[in-house]
Amino acid sequence: MRHGKYPFIIGFLVVPVAIYAVFVVWAYIQAFYLSVYEWSGLGPVENFVGLGNFRKMFDDTLFWQSIKHNVFLLIFLPIITVVLALVFAFLLNVGGGQKGGVTRGVWGSKVYRIIFFFPQLLALAIVAVIFGRVFGPDKSGMINGLFPESWQPWLFLADERYAMGCILVVLVWQAVGFYVVLFSAGMGNIPTEVYEAAAIDGATRVTLFFRITIPLLWNTVQVAWVYLGIAAFDAFALVNIMTVDRGGPDGATSVLSLMIYRNAFEFSQAGYASALGVVLFFLTLTFAWVTLSATRRESVEA
Amino acid sequence: MVAPAATPTPASTVPLKRRKSKAVDDGVITVGRSRSGTILANTAGVLFSVVMLFPVYWVLNTAFKPADEVLALEPGFWPSNPTFDNFISAFKAPLFLQDMLNGVIITLLAVAGALVVGFLGALAIARFSFYGRKAIILVVLVVQLVPFLALLIPLFLMLQNVNLGFKKFDLTDSLIGVSITYLVLILPYTIWTLRGFISGIPRELDEAAMIDGCTRAQVFWRIILPLTGPGLVATSVYGFIQAWNEFIIINTLNSPEKQNLMAWLLQNQTTRGTAWGPLMAGAIITSIPVVVFFLIIQRNIATGLTAGAVKG
Repeated sequence: MRHGKYPFIIGFLVVPVAIYAVFVVWAYIQAFYLSVYEWSGLGPVENFVGLGNFRKMFDDTLFWQSIKHNVFLLIFLPIITVVLALVFAFLLNVGGGQKGGVTRGVWGSKVYRIIFFFPQLLALAIVAVIFGRVFGPDKSGMINGLFPESWQPWLFLADERYAMGCILVVLVWQAVGFYVVLFSAGMGNIPTEVYEAAAIDGATRVTLFFRITIPLLWNTVQVAWVYLGIAAFDAFALVNIMTVDRGGPDGATSVLSLMIYRNAFEFSQAGYASALGVVLFFLTLTFAWVTLSATRRESVEA
Repeated sequence: MVAPAATPTPASTVPLKRRKSKAVDDGVITVGRSRSGTILANTAGVLFSVVMLFPVYWVLNTAFKPADEVLALEPGFWPSNPTFDNFISAFKAPLFLQDMLNGVIITLLAVAGALVVGFLGALAIARFSFYGRKAIILVVLVVQLVPFLALLIPLFLMLQNVNLGFKKFDLTDSLIGVSITYLVLILPYTIWTLRGFISGIPRELDEAAMIDGCTRAQVFWRIILPLTGPGLVATSVYGFIQAWNEFIIINTLNSPEKQNLMAWLLQNQTTRGTAWGPLMAGAIITSIPVVVFFLIIQRNIATGLTAGAVKG
């Protein structure tokens, strides 16, 4: 097969590589370049400030607030989503116990599978609009509407203590179905004999979950963790659409991506926005690298 | 945007096994479960489904309500006078049809482009070993990881001054500029998934065909392309969903006449304030293509998610 392969390789790869080179690599180089300028976004790029933008970031309370919120999401989004998704994927696949030698999911698991995937089909824009209504701060809000008239309505997104929590709830709601399906697929690959053997040895459902499912699914969980972490670094769409004053009240829901967007396209601070983008770039990659190497362990083959 | 591309994992190399639905009832083994546990599991499932479905139900409920019921303080759980008015007024709303058409054009261009480019790229990565292969795979993966938002400024600048040597173009505020951007956005996933599908085709087939006198190009065209068919479908559906649902980039690059439906929805949310009925009707119309595609490939979705996983 060796004969004459390079014409094919070059022919096949020239377009994708060119696209990457221009739209990704070159774009990043530009972002790095812009990050050392104090530049409005219009006209020629001038006003070299070196690390000035990064120094400015260091003194910017909103920046640190945003980082804090990103870290909050980074901790809780993956934990909650992965745990929920694992539990439900387990219920769907093995939760029904065994009958006739076949390990089954709980009753109606096929329907659940579709229901759980549904939020994934709604665009983030629509999800954000809907949850704006769910968290409505007066009686017209869906949650507040459920309680009696005399009840003091919760402010949800308008309350700086709970606003970030609301965003987290929506992110989890939106993501969990996808991971249920992903984990289900992984669990489907675990040979049923393994479960049967364990069940005959007297393993309960809980034991099956912790001793068999989790170890055999570890790689998938790891990848899910990285993706959810990255979603936590983004979160732009929801924060931008749902929150009071976009990132408010008083910066209580600001995240890094929102700062980038607003500085670039609203505050005419394209240089500063690029510097923030550079920080986001390194934070994301560091997170992915740390997660993948910290959670690496001998993978167990089924 | 946030919807993560499925990444294949080595743990899941085989498509979901379809279990026999007709279990033989006489051989009941009840180990590994208790009655109370089963009740608990089912209750949890039902409760969770309610939480997952409630907002969707609310959208439908609002969309079929006449305007006065939507704004009524006591929320009705069912429209007492169901109406299609909201859908009609959504269709009649300024720019709705225009933006719908824009969305279709942009999405089709991006998905078609990504499929062609991605298939070729995936072929090269899956079927050949060459210097720099690892590096390319790494770049593909890294691009998937980093939030696209960080690239929005340079992208804007680049599209503003597209210099083809003979002529300069400004591709901001154009459908083609957004299409290219979306192509870049869905390309990593496309390459990665197709690579998995192609790796799943035994190399022996290629060799057999070549012994029978196929040229290498014919092998790709007549053996691998048809066998990747289901993979192409699954990948294009995912790409479609991504491109159709995107609104941040298009909102930044284009003027109101050149938005897609998603961006239209958001603009109408802010400008119209409380016209929830038509807005939710618009949301439903916008979601229909995605839901339809999902139902078509629903059976294969788990397979599609894991098919990229074949080691290679």
